[in-house]
Amino acid sequence: MTQRTTGQRFRQRKLSTRQNLPVLREHEVEKISDDDAARHMPKVESGVDKGEEAEHHLQAVISASHAAAVGGKIAQLYIPTPETIQSTLEYERLYPRQFKQPSTYIRFSSTVEDCIGCPYCMTADDEVFLKSMNQKKPESQRCSEDQFEEVMYFFEETSAAKQPFAAVDNPPVVSYEEMESSFDETISDSCRRFALEIYEHWKNQRVLKGNRALMPALKFETNVETDDNDPYVCFRRREVRQTRKTRGRDAQVIEKLKKMRRDLEDARQILHVCKQREYLGRENLANNRKLFEQRILLRDARRENGIKEDDDLLVDQKPAPKPKTKPDQTNLQRQMSGTAKAQVARMDGRPPDSDLVSLEEVTEKKQEDIHKFMEDLASKHRNWNKDWRDETWRPLTPPPQEQAPRSSFRAATTYTLPTPPPSIASEGSGEPMDVDEPTPKILNKGSVTAQYASPPLEAPVESQRSYRRRIARGGRLVIDRRDMKRPFQEDADERVLDRYKYDRESSEDDEVYPYDPYDNAHIRFRVLSGSPDQSRSAQQQAQMRRGVAEASMANGALHPNHARMQGSPPQQSSQ
Amino acid sequence: MAPREASHEPDSTPVPVERGYATLATLRIGVKVFVEKDGEKRKAEILSIQQRKGKPTFYVHYDEFNKRLDEWVSAERLDLSREVEWPAPEKPPKSKTTSAQSKSQPAQTSTSKSQKSSLKRQRSSKLDRDVSATPESVVSNVPSKAARPSKAGGKENREEIAIIATEVGDDSTPKPEDDEMDLVDVQDAAAAAKAAPPEIYSREDELEKLRTSGSMTQNQTEISRVRNLDRVQMGRHEIEPWYFSPYPIEFSDADMVYICEFCLCYFAEMKQFERHRRKCTLLHPPGNEIYRDEYVSFFEVDGRRQRTWCRNLCLLSKLFLDHKTLYFDVDPFLFYCMTTRDEHGCHLVGYFSKEKESAEGYNVACILTLPQYQRKGFGRLLIAFSYELSKRENKLGSPEKPLSDLGLLGYRAYWQETIVDLLMDGRTDANIEELGAATAMTTNDVLHTLQNLNMLRYSRNQHVIVLTDAVIEQRERQRQKEKAKGAHRIEPEKLSWKPPVFAASARTWNW
Repeated sequence: MTQRTTGQRFRQRKLSTRQNLPVLREHEVEKISDDDAARHMPKVESGVDKGEEAEHHLQAVISASHAAAVGGKIAQLYIPTPETIQSTLEYERLYPRQFKQPSTYIRFSSTVEDCIGCPYCMTADDEVFLKSMNQKKPESQRCSEDQFEEVMYFFEETSAAKQPFAAVDNPPVVSYEEMESSFDETISDSCRRFALEIYEHWKNQRVLKGNRALMPALKFETNVETDDNDPYVCFRRREVRQTRKTRGRDAQVIEKLKKMRRDLEDARQILHVCKQREYLGRENLANNRKLFEQRILLRDARRENGIKEDDDLLVDQKPAPKPKTKPDQTNLQRQMSGTAKAQVARMDGRPPDSDLVSLEEVTEKKQEDIHKFMEDLASKHRNWNKDWRDETWRPLTPPPQEQAPRSSFRAATTYTLPTPPPSIASEGSGEPMDVDEPTPKILNKGSVTAQYASPPLEAPVESQRSYRRRIARGGRLVIDRRDMKRPFQEDADERVLDRYKYDRESSEDDEVYPYDPYDNAHIRFRVLSGSPDQSRSAQQQAQMRRGVAEASMANGALHPNHARMQGSPPQQSSQ
Repeated sequence: MAPREASHEPDSTPVPVERGYATLATLRIGVKVFVEKDGEKRKAEILSIQQRKGKPTFYVHYDEFNKRLDEWVSAERLDLSREVEWPAPEKPPKSKTTSAQSKSQPAQTSTSKSQKSSLKRQRSSKLDRDVSATPESVVSNVPSKAARPSKAGGKENREEIAIIATEVGDDSTPKPEDDEMDLVDVQDAAAAAKAAPPEIYSREDELEKLRTSGSMTQNQTEISRVRNLDRVQMGRHEIEPWYFSPYPIEFSDADMVYICEFCLCYFAEMKQFERHRRKCTLLHPPGNEIYRDEYVSFFEVDGRRQRTWCRNLCLLSKLFLDHKTLYFDVDPFLFYCMTTRDEHGCHLVGYFSKEKESAEGYNVACILTLPQYQRKGFGRLLIAFSYELSKRENKLGSPEKPLSDLGLLGYRAYWQETIVDLLMDGRTDANIEELGAATAMTTNDVLHTLQNLNMLRYSRNQHVIVLTDAVIEQRERQRQKEKAKGAHRIEPEKLSWKPPVFAASARTWNW
């Protein structure tokens, strides 16, 4: 048995603090000798200073309580402490009964300084002096203890302010003249009249104390080396507390610093590039001016010599940068004008860097791909439907309406005039300069008889502004205008969209779905459909049509952006 | 007491203690002599000698007794018929500083004046103390009574250097055993506790630790000082201080120091105190009341906002707490002050301070029941309240170490009661961590308590918690006593408190 227990000792598991341990009564456990039990347990320190743990009285009490825990009966012991006795002081006089407990918990933030009045408290010596001083005076002119203290406190404070290092360099006691000169609001008028008399007393007291402060004060640090071990120096300031250093915090800090460094570097780069740009701009300006001056010379020379050729030398051949237009229009125009136009889009007129892939090229390539895909699809469909006739009556999704002959509407061709316009008329001026060639649009091209599962997302896109003249009722002459349409938003390259992301004012709330009420197809549909509100819609149309001639409001309302953007009237319209 | 022994302990090589007979004239500081104490003769070390009314009086520290029992004794109480132990012979100061520095700066051995400034942060600054600081503290005790042999002061100072030197040197050299032998017969348990060598702290480590957290010093030089105040008057009581407290130096001459019960301001003269009482309007600790029942109120006082009051409180409590240090200011602490109420106001009974943010997870820094209110169950309330706060914070807490002897007993009693109560609620199994969580006690403290009560045992191949008959009986007795006398408890629902939150800036800028 003994052997087993000894063996057990070595196999005993470590005590787990997380594990549930059975709670038993003493009779439920077999008796083990204390010695054995104690050996198994990890020792926990008492937390008392090692030097003091051995003290007689503590050990006596501990062993007594230990004996009690084990079952012995021992009278309760106390650690002896120096005695405390009832004071003979008249407590009631010193501490009057004036505390009334509020019903709520006390909230209090005044400091001791706020609560103790004048910090100077007179001593017995002061009292003797004050009595003798007051003896000579009539009742009414006597100095009260409060006044006396106020004056004394003022002297103490002023002295401390004037001689902050009195403890070190032993200056003479501050003179009365100096005191008088520093009278301020901290000493009331009623007290000032006693100042001179009290000063003598104060000075004597100071001299007795070696010009130290009369009220005993704590010793604070003076930043002298001896401070460190002076037991009376207390309540030192702590230096700024250091934050605990951990690896995580270090990494965090490094990341932050790195990011800041990057940001600053970026900002610097931007500024550098801006500066570069401005330099180049200046250079450009200077060159232009030079060019202009040279041209003047050239012109004069030509006039003198009567040379009539090479007029184009006198003007810039490429149009100067267009006046800034709203982004989506430029976008649109760029899309329409294709690569040839895009090539010259540099603002500074220099040839574009050909090796750079421009956004326009990318867009165009994308468009081409889509186009090609559509073509393929269309031809496939044509192949399928070859030799077949579509007999479907009213399919779920009607085939796209054949575009009505567009004879009535005519396109308005817009010329963008070069700025500045050629200063002198010449033979070559008749040529159209940089006319935007209307790019054929996918949907207008080829006759695809394929049917779609859902109506085409894309509304027919008008590439140009067009007008129609007609005779309305009553022989009125009406000009209908049809504005340009923007391609559907989904079509646009996300990079293009991103570029002008915040340039529009529209919010998501008032989304407008553009459609063209004057499209012949629409009109026909409205006329033919036997909808109950036929008459009303007809009326509306009439109104609208009337409105169109006078102002482009009807359209404007439907295309708010367009109306605003295309405010400038067409410069040329052909019938 | 270990530090005192250390003081006459040789530095590196064990030198036998020198014994011999002495006369009153040959007695000096550091001598160990038998002194009559409560009817028996105890060995005591002379810490200071003064001439009072033409007779020499001796400030003695009794071996194996807490320093609070140190006292001034007249020559009649010394037993010179027995041999005294002479302090170890002086060492040349150079070798001492060498050993003091040996840990950190082995190369730097010379401590000439010129080098002192560069060594400021090292231990050599202890020399400064020799030069200026200590004479002020000890010699100024008796500026008028100059009869004391001047050698004594210097002797003591040198003695203290020796302490430091041995403290540092100790960890490399084995503790001499012959000294231990004397003690064994005094108290077996004492010897057992002594077996572990005292932990060694360098002054710099200590200051750094105190700067960042904590309020307790481990440093022996810091705490082995002659008590400076004779008597203290506070409220209705006159109290005899236990330890040194850095009240203004002038006070060491005063027969009585008067302390205002409400603002804790201190005066050496009755007239001044009376005048102060006339003006003082404070009637309770200057903070917010966070707990109130029929018996006591608790006030929370922020060290930063109530600097003067908290400093006064610390000065007062230093009189009764040996290891408390006032080296640094009170800003990073909150003070929870327990008061009893009557028509005069809220009388401070005890308090505990708590770090605003404790790195070590302490829920109490210093804890004290004022001596005039001790042995009345207030300490238990203070401890219970500190755990109540920890429960609100959802934290486990433990008091800052080292505990004093009284502190240890107080805490042990509270822990025992709390845990035994919990275990006696009829449960059949318990988990140490859960016990801790339910009581806001750290696992270690739970373990400590169970072990101390011999409740943790190993039976049938597993650990078990045993509710011993003795523990149950003790608890029953206590309950009956409470029933008879009426016990006071902290009622959690009366605590109106949220853990204060301090901004990071407060932490950086000294709270």
